[in-house]
Amino acid sequence: MNPLILIILLTTLILGTMMVVTSSHWLLAWIGFEMNMMAFIPIMMKNPNPRATEASTKYLLTQATASALLMMAVIINLMHSGQWTITKLFNPTASTLMTVALAIKLGLAPFHFWVPEVTQGIPLTTGLILLTWQKLAPLSILYQISPSINLHLMLIMSLLSILMGGWGGLNQTQLRKIMAYSSIAHMGWMTAILLYNPTLTLLNLLIYITMTFTMFMLFIQNSTTTTLSLSQTWNKMPVITTLTMLTLLSMGGLPPLSGFMPKWMIIQELTKNDMLIVPTFMAITALLNLYFYMRLTYSTALTLFPSTNNMKMKWQFNSTKRTPLLPTAIVISTMLLPLTPMLSILL
Amino acid sequence: MLKFIIPTIMLMPLTWLSKNNLIWINSTAHSLLISFSSLLLLNQLNDNSLNYSLMFFSDPLSTPLLILTMWLLPLMLMASQSHLIKEPPVRKKLYITMLITLQALLIMTFTATELILFYIMFEATLIPTLIIITRWGNQTERLNAGLYFLFYTLVGSLPLLVALVYLQNTTGSLNFLLLQHWAQPLSTSWSNIFMWLACMMAFLVKMPLYGLHLWLPKAHVEAPIAGSMVLAAVLLKLGGYGMLRITSMLNPLTEHMAYPFLMLSLWGMIMTSSICLRQTDLKSLIAYSSVSHMALVIAAILIQTPWSYMGATALMIAHGLTSSMLFCLANSNYERIHSRTMILARGLQVFLPLMATWWLLASLTNLALPPTINLIGELLVVMSVFSWSNPTILLMGTNIVITALYSLYMLIMTQRGKHTHHINNITPSFTREHALMALHIIPLLLLSLNPKIILGPLY
Repeated sequence: MNPLILIILLTTLILGTMMVVTSSHWLLAWIGFEMNMMAFIPIMMKNPNPRATEASTKYLLTQATASALLMMAVIINLMHSGQWTITKLFNPTASTLMTVALAIKLGLAPFHFWVPEVTQGIPLTTGLILLTWQKLAPLSILYQISPSINLHLMLIMSLLSILMGGWGGLNQTQLRKIMAYSSIAHMGWMTAILLYNPTLTLLNLLIYITMTFTMFMLFIQNSTTTTLSLSQTWNKMPVITTLTMLTLLSMGGLPPLSGFMPKWMIIQELTKNDMLIVPTFMAITALLNLYFYMRLTYSTALTLFPSTNNMKMKWQFNSTKRTPLLPTAIVISTMLLPLTPMLSILL
Repeated sequence: MLKFIIPTIMLMPLTWLSKNNLIWINSTAHSLLISFSSLLLLNQLNDNSLNYSLMFFSDPLSTPLLILTMWLLPLMLMASQSHLIKEPPVRKKLYITMLITLQALLIMTFTATELILFYIMFEATLIPTLIIITRWGNQTERLNAGLYFLFYTLVGSLPLLVALVYLQNTTGSLNFLLLQHWAQPLSTSWSNIFMWLACMMAFLVKMPLYGLHLWLPKAHVEAPIAGSMVLAAVLLKLGGYGMLRITSMLNPLTEHMAYPFLMLSLWGMIMTSSICLRQTDLKSLIAYSSVSHMALVIAAILIQTPWSYMGATALMIAHGLTSSMLFCLANSNYERIHSRTMILARGLQVFLPLMATWWLLASLTNLALPPTINLIGELLVVMSVFSWSNPTILLMGTNIVITALYSLYMLIMTQRGKHTHHINNITPSFTREHALMALHIIPLLLLSLNPKIILGPLY
């Protein structure tokens, strides 16, 4: 893509999210969402193949619907409170509508069907932006309206997301779809704790973004999009196999890696609020996620040469892909657990 | 406790920076030195001076298990030398690093004061064990074995996390030394029942209890020798240690809740001993024998009498050393004929007479011959379970007989009788193997001279 166009699009993307996060007027927040969506669609169409066209169309339809619902909620709130300030909403209808709108934007179940297909159709770097940067704006609005969100709606959506994210990923071999289902499940964890302690939502978001960033950077460096080609990592970059395995286990939430930290903190916060069955259910269904991460780990790191698979062997070139901050990201996504006391109050 | 943890962690740079022909010597010698230093912990005074810090402590229950863990690392390294000969040096160092990581995590598990630290380290031991089983096992079934191992343990232990966090919210602290004194008696209500289940299921899966034992034969059989040794000797005892710690907070509900699990372990020990009589796979036989011995330990812990606690701890240490030795013996067979089928290599006493001595001693300790500590453990457990309910003596007696039967079956099948013809060119035993067996059996026999150090805190 023409670099000038790319710069304009990326700037608009960043500006849109910043507008949503920093604004105090609902209209400006909505404008920020629209700018974000408008700038992201050409980025998704960088390589104009039919898959990308389908992904962009689905993204446009879902996000535009969500923005329209958002605007409806804002207007209802305006009718009942007479002001446009972004604070908690003053009407249960407005609150429900806005929660549903933001759930569509985030990809929470039962509105999660667009996430795997859109993630699959776009290149890896764009997928990374979709699954990390695009989550910031909706979550910031959810954070701000959290006192007025209906608890039952939120809990049902998050429990369903964790379940769907785990179950849906079980039959996948395409790495982008696996990351999409992992994103759905993590969004479920994040929104479950939103109404009790929003700081932990931000902590979970931070750790999730770091882990997803690490995974995508590892995929980009290997230029792989399927499990089968990921299993050739032992040939191209042997050290990366161990690091991929550790990052995947961290995403699964195994102690002593840093992916355990948000799960532990969320379970602690939920039990402090006298909910014991919900965190047990969440923790056990998160094991479904761990199952398909384990499958990836097996094919990448734990079953090595001379066990063969059906791929042609590749030459070991020096990698030409730009993977910025990969070592830092790997360290943060695996070794951050001892810093839990600092992080859970910092945000 | 840092005086053990830091040297153990420093074994890793030692391995990676050693010359290629010195990696085994360096790591084995230095881990042996560290294990000797752990014997200092045996000096248990009554003034609670072994409460080292806010995070680590050691008491007469965790000390024998800790010494066993640290003793086992040099033995594991010695046992692994032969099957890793053909690997490139980097992979050898990776293997040793996995063992050292596992060791450091196990030390921290056994000495943790705070129960959440115990939980995190308990779960953390899963990762190196999984890597050892799945990466360095020998058959394709190892993938399934790793998954069963990981998921059985995780499904059991995630409710434990919720229960521990709940305990912290209600009692204010999860420091084990404080909780012993602060624990409220639990009444028989549904929520307390679920909390009891949540606390205990993780350890019952780890022990394993008879109905949840499916992961154990898979994991033990598919693991390489060091993996089998550490699984049988130490990781199973993690479950027992956890149960011994946490039952002090679950009274008096345990008297009501223990019945189904007591039934399962009493019936299970007979079932698994009987299945040993029909095994063709040598490692599978030893794995099922582990389930049977651990069922005794579960029964002992659940009836909560002083004698049964002493029997449980003694039996854990004794079984750790015995089972590890049996796996080493089975591995010495496997390295020669590359098959675990028992009937393929028979009559080995003619070819390897000194190894036959070790087979004899291991089988004798497995069937709890007096005056070994195996007998002390089993006898204390049998007597205390008898005092809990008289008719259980029938089940216990049957179990002892069947244990004797399969131990002798294993001994006679592999050592005595007419040898098969195709093994007349097996390599003689290495000195390393003899040293390995001796280092297993000598502590076992010496402990029968002074068993009070392994009888736990209630002695």
